[in-house]
Amino acid sequence: MGSYILRRLVGSALVMLAVAALVFFMIRLVPGDPVAAMLADAGSEEAREALTRKLGLDQPLVVQFWKWFTGLLQGDLGVSIFGNNQPVSTILLEALPRTMSLAFLSFVIALVIAIPAGILSATRRNTATDATVSLFAFLGLSMPDFWLAILLIIVFAANLQWLPAIGYVPLSEGLWPWLSHLILPSIAIGTGFSAIIARMIRSSMLEVLRADYMRTAASKGLPMRVQMLRHAFPNALIPVVTVIGIAFALLISGAVVVENVFAIKGLGRVLIQGIQNRDYPVVQGAVLVVSAFFVLSNLVVDLLYAVIDPRIRYS
Amino acid sequence: MTDKDLIKRAEAELREAHDYDPRDPLFGLTRDELRGDRLSRRATLRLLAAGGALGLAQVLPGLRPQSAMAQGKMGGELKCAWAGVGEIVTLDPAQIGQVLQFQITSNIYSGLMHIDNNLVAQGDLAESWEISEDGLEYTFKLREGVTFHNGDPFDAEDVLFTFNRSRDPEQSVHSRVIANVAELEKLNDYEVRFTLKQPQASFLTKSLERASGRAMTIVSRGGLESLGTAQYGLTPIGTGPYKVVEHQLGQGVVLEKFAEYYDPDRPKLDRITITPVDGVEPLAAALEAGDIHYVGGNPFPTQLIERMQANPDLVVDIKPGPGFQSIWINPWHEAMRVTDFDKPLEELKKEKGFMVRLAIAKALDRELFIKQGLFGYGVAAHGTINPAMGFFFDETLADSSEQAFDPEGAKALMAEAGYPGGAGFPELTLQTTPNTKRAGQVVANILRQVLGITVTVDPKDFSIGIEEFNKMEIDLRLGGSGGDYDPDDGLVDWMQTTSKFNGPDRDKAAKSFGFFSEAEADRLIDAQSVAVDPNARRELVRQANAISSDKVACAFLYHPVDVLVHNASVEVPEEARIPGLHELDRISLK
Amino acid sequence: MTDLPAKDLSEPDIRPAPSRLRASFARDRKAQVGLVILLAFLLVALLAPLIAPFDPNAMTLDMMSSPSLTHPLGTDDLGRDLLSRIIWGTQISLFVGVSTVALALILGVTLGVVAGYYGGWADMIIMRYIDLQWAFPNFIIAIYLVAVFGTGLLNVIVAIALAFLDDFARVARSMVLTLKEEQFVDAARVQGFSDLRIMFRHILPNALAPIIVQATVSVSYAILGEASLSFLGLGVRPDTPTWGLILADGRSFISQAWWLGVFPGLAIMLVVLAINFVGDALRDALDVRETGP
Repeated sequence: MGSYILRRLVGSALVMLAVAALVFFMIRLVPGDPVAAMLADAGSEEAREALTRKLGLDQPLVVQFWKWFTGLLQGDLGVSIFGNNQPVSTILLEALPRTMSLAFLSFVIALVIAIPAGILSATRRNTATDATVSLFAFLGLSMPDFWLAILLIIVFAANLQWLPAIGYVPLSEGLWPWLSHLILPSIAIGTGFSAIIARMIRSSMLEVLRADYMRTAASKGLPMRVQMLRHAFPNALIPVVTVIGIAFALLISGAVVVENVFAIKGLGRVLIQGIQNRDYPVVQGAVLVVSAFFVLSNLVVDLLYAVIDPRIRYS
Repeated sequence: MTDKDLIKRAEAELREAHDYDPRDPLFGLTRDELRGDRLSRRATLRLLAAGGALGLAQVLPGLRPQSAMAQGKMGGELKCAWAGVGEIVTLDPAQIGQVLQFQITSNIYSGLMHIDNNLVAQGDLAESWEISEDGLEYTFKLREGVTFHNGDPFDAEDVLFTFNRSRDPEQSVHSRVIANVAELEKLNDYEVRFTLKQPQASFLTKSLERASGRAMTIVSRGGLESLGTAQYGLTPIGTGPYKVVEHQLGQGVVLEKFAEYYDPDRPKLDRITITPVDGVEPLAAALEAGDIHYVGGNPFPTQLIERMQANPDLVVDIKPGPGFQSIWINPWHEAMRVTDFDKPLEELKKEKGFMVRLAIAKALDRELFIKQGLFGYGVAAHGTINPAMGFFFDETLADSSEQAFDPEGAKALMAEAGYPGGAGFPELTLQTTPNTKRAGQVVANILRQVLGITVTVDPKDFSIGIEEFNKMEIDLRLGGSGGDYDPDDGLVDWMQTTSKFNGPDRDKAAKSFGFFSEAEADRLIDAQSVAVDPNARRELVRQANAISSDKVACAFLYHPVDVLVHNASVEVPEEARIPGLHELDRISLK
Repeated sequence: MTDLPAKDLSEPDIRPAPSRLRASFARDRKAQVGLVILLAFLLVALLAPLIAPFDPNAMTLDMMSSPSLTHPLGTDDLGRDLLSRIIWGTQISLFVGVSTVALALILGVTLGVVAGYYGGWADMIIMRYIDLQWAFPNFIIAIYLVAVFGTGLLNVIVAIALAFLDDFARVARSMVLTLKEEQFVDAARVQGFSDLRIMFRHILPNALAPIIVQATVSVSYAILGEASLSFLGLGVRPDTPTWGLILADGRSFISQAWWLGVFPGLAIMLVVLAINFVGDALRDALDVRETGP
C-alpha cells in the first residue's frame, strides 16, 4: 500500500510536469498578438516593441519556457500580459474561492436532490415513483447546463426578480448575499450532476439490499427506515465515491460555461477571457490549476477507494 | 426615437454647434482666458478670425460657460453598471487602452487640463497658462494646496514624475502622446514649462487632457512606490474627486468622496460602486429592478432603448456619438484591386477592382442596416467626420457622395466588372469582432441581396482581428473609431497614407499602402490640421472627407449614437454630459 | 468492464447478440421512445431542405415576432424563422455528433488496440499520452484545442473528437488485454494470421459491446460539447445555424423573445435524452457495466 501511494504520487507529479510543458508550448501555437490586444488603439510602434521586450516575447521559446518553469516551481505563474501586470497567481487566487464556492454549492444541491431520489427509487423499485425519479434523472442528465442557466435567469431573475442575474459576492459580505448570487448557477450545474449520483445511489442500493447483512438486519426485525438509513445507505455510498473524480470534471466543465452566463469571475471565466485576450500566462495558469485539481482529485479518489474497499489490492 | 428624429436632432445640434476643434489654435484657450488679461497678441488675432463661431457659442443658451455648479444635493450612494465588460482590468493611466477605463479614471485623477461638455479645454490642476508667440512654449501655473488621496501634497515634481514615467515606453503605452515635447522644466514648485519640438494646436486638449490623453494624467509617486505597479493599477492614488477604496477584478470598483478635493462644490456623492456587467439581459434586469442607477462603459445595447424609454423610472438621453464604423475593403485583394488612387475619379471608375469597391459601397442600404442591425439607433455615415463634431459634419455628403445608396447603380457596376448578378465573384470573408458579429451579419445579408455575392462573417477576437487588419490580410473588415472629437481623429488617424491604422504591419515591399492612399487627400488633411481660420478649415475638411468618400477609402456605414441611461432619481446636469465620458463628480441624487 | 463473460469462439461473431438486443428493446419502453425521437430527428435532418418553411439565414424586418401560424416558433433578432433554423440545426448537430464520435472512435480504438495488443513500448507511450489527457477534463481539452486551432465546424469536430479519444482508447485497450489471452487468439496466431488481421478481425469484434455503448453516449456528449463551445463563442461560424449558436445569439434578447431561449435548448435536450434512453437500453442488453461519463 505504501509503495502504491508513493508510485501514484510520483506518477501524478510526472503527469503534472508533462501537463505544464504541453500547456506552455501548445498555447504558443495560438494565433493572435497579445501585444496588439493590450495596446488596443493606443499602440505606437515603440510602445509595442517595448512591451514585447518587457514580456520576454522576443526571446526564444525554450528560454521563455525555462523562465516560466523555474518561476512555476517557486509558485510564480508570471504576470497577466493584459491590463496591469497582475500576477497570475493573484488572479487565480481571487478566482478560486468563487469556483470553489460554486462547486461546493453545486455539490450540495446535487446531493440534496440525489440522495432522497436515489433511496426512494431503490426502495420503491419498479413503481411509479421509481419511474418518475428515473425520468427526471434522465431529463437532468440531458439538459445542457447553460440552457438551464438561461431558463433560471428568465424565470427567477428577469421575471420574478427574486435573485440576482449575475455577479458574485464573497461570503465575507454576508451569508445571504453570497448565497443569493450562487443559487441559480449552482442549480444549473448541480442538476445534471444530481441525476448521475441518484442513478448511482439507486443501483448500488439495490446491490446492497441483496447483501447478507441486509437479510440479517431484516431478520432482526429492524424497522424498514432504520434498515435503509443505517445499513443500506452508508454502504451504498461507497461506489459513489468513485464518481467524485468525475464530479470534479463535470463541475469544472459546468463552471466554465455557467460562470460565463452569470458573469462570475471564477476559473472558467478567467480561462475564457484569457483565451479571448491571448493572455498566455493566464490561460496557462488557469489550465494548470484546473488540471492540478483534477489530477489531485483523481489521486485522492483512488487512494480513498483503496482505503474504503478492502477488496482492492495493490501490488 | 426613429433615425429620422435622430437626424433631426443631430441637425438641431448642428445649428447650435460651434467650433470645438481641439486642433484649432483657438481651442486651447479657455473662456476665462479669453476674458482675462493674459491673452497673447497672437491669441487675440486668432480670436478675431474665429469671432463668428465663438460668438455664436457665447450667445446660445446651453453653450454658455456653466458658472453655477452649486445645484445638486450632496451625499448618497450611486450604483453604476459598466456595460459590456467583465472586469475593469486597469486604472493605471499608463496602461489604459479602453475608453471604459478612462471613463472611470477621469474621476480618480486630475490632469493639467480637462475638456468640458462643449469639448473646450479647461484648467484642471493648471490654474492658468501662457503660450509663447511661436506656439512652442507652454508655461503653466499650478493649483496650490492640492493633495493626493494618500495625503501627499501635489506640486511641480509630480508633473515631472508623471512626464518621465509616461515618456518611457517600458512603463507607459502612451509615450507617443507626448513625443512632441522636447523638454519639461520645473520653474518653481508651482510652475512648469513645456517646450515643444513643433507647434501643436491640440497640445492642451489631447496631450494634457486628463481622461483621454492618459500621458499627463497626474499619478502619485508615493502611491506607486508603496503599492507597486500591479496594485496601483487596481487601487490607484490620484488627486481627483473620488478615491478608490476597493477594487476586485471581475467584481468592480468602489469609490468614495475625496474630502480634500480642491473644489469644495464637488464631488456631490459620498460613494459610488461600479460593477462590470457583461450581458444584455442582466443589465436590463438590474436597471429595471433599481439595483443600478446609472450605466457607463461600452455603448448601451440598442435593443434595450425602447424598453428603457417606456419605463417611467428611467431616463434615456441620446446624443450623436463621436465615431464612425465602416466596411474596410482590401485593395490588394484580387477582385477588389486598386493599386493607385492618384488618378481622376473617372479614370478609377474604369478599373474593375474599383468598380467592385464602389459597388459594395453603393450597395450598403444604410437605412435598412440601422433599422435591423442597430434597432434604429444610428446615423448613416458617408465619411469619417461624425455628427458629434457638429460644425464640421457635412450633411450634404449623404446625397453628393459616390457612396450614396444606389442598388441599381451597384448592380450595374458589378455587371460591368464582369460579375453580373454576382456570378463568378469570389466568396468574401467579412471580419468582425464577437461584439459586432450581428452587425456583420446584417451587412453580409444586404450585400447578398443587392449584389448577389456571398460574404461570410468571421468574428475574431479583437487581438487577432487587429493583427490581420494591420497586416492587410483581410478581405473585408467591419470596424472604425470611437471618441473622435476632432476632424483629426477621423482624418489624420484613418485617411492619410501615413495614418496609424493604414496597414502598419503590411508587407511594405508588396503593398505600397494599406487600405487607402491619395495624394490630394493627404495634402488637404495636412493643411486642415494647421488651418487657422475655422471656416477655412471646415472647407478643407469637407474636401478631404469628400475625396475619401468618393474614392472609397472604405465603405462608410454608420455613426453610433451616445446613449446615457440612468434612474430618474439621478440628477445629471448638462455640464456632466460630455460625450463618451462620465463626470461622476457633477452628478447627484435627487 | 473487465468482467464481460468470456466467449470461447474460434470465429468471432461480428454483430453483438442482435436477437438479445431486439428482445431487450421490445421490453424497454424508454428505449422505444428514444428510438422514435431519434428517428424523428434523423428524418428532420435528412429532409431539412424540404420541410424547413424558410431559408434559415434569410433576414426580414419582422424581428422578434412571437410564435404564429407563419412562424410557428417565432422569429429571431434578425427576423429569421426560428423553426427553419432549428430544423437546419438538427442536421448540423447530428452530423457533429456522429462524425465527432466516428473520428474519436477510429483514432481511440486504434490506439487502444495497438497498446493492448503489443504491450511494451507501444503500450507505454500510448498510455502515458492517455494519462496526460486524463489529467484534463474533456471539455477543457476541447476548449483549449479550439483556442489553438481556431473556430469553425471542422475544427470543432476535431477538437471534441481529440478530447474524447482517450475514453475509447481505454475501453478498447482493456478489452484487448482481456481477450488476447483467449484461445481463439492463440488459434489465430498458430494459423499464422498477421497481427493486423488478428487485432481487427478477431479481437476487436469481440470487444465491440462496450465500445458501442461508449460511442452511443459519446454522441450526446459531442452534441452537448458543440453546443457549449458555440455558446461560448468558440464554436461554429455565425452563419452555421447550430442549436448552441442559436441559443447564444438569442441570449441577449430572451426577455423580449422567450422563444429564442426555450426552443433551441428543448431540441438539444430531446436529442440528448433520446440518446441516453437508447444508450441505457444498449448497456442493459449488452451487459456492460455502467461507468459514468
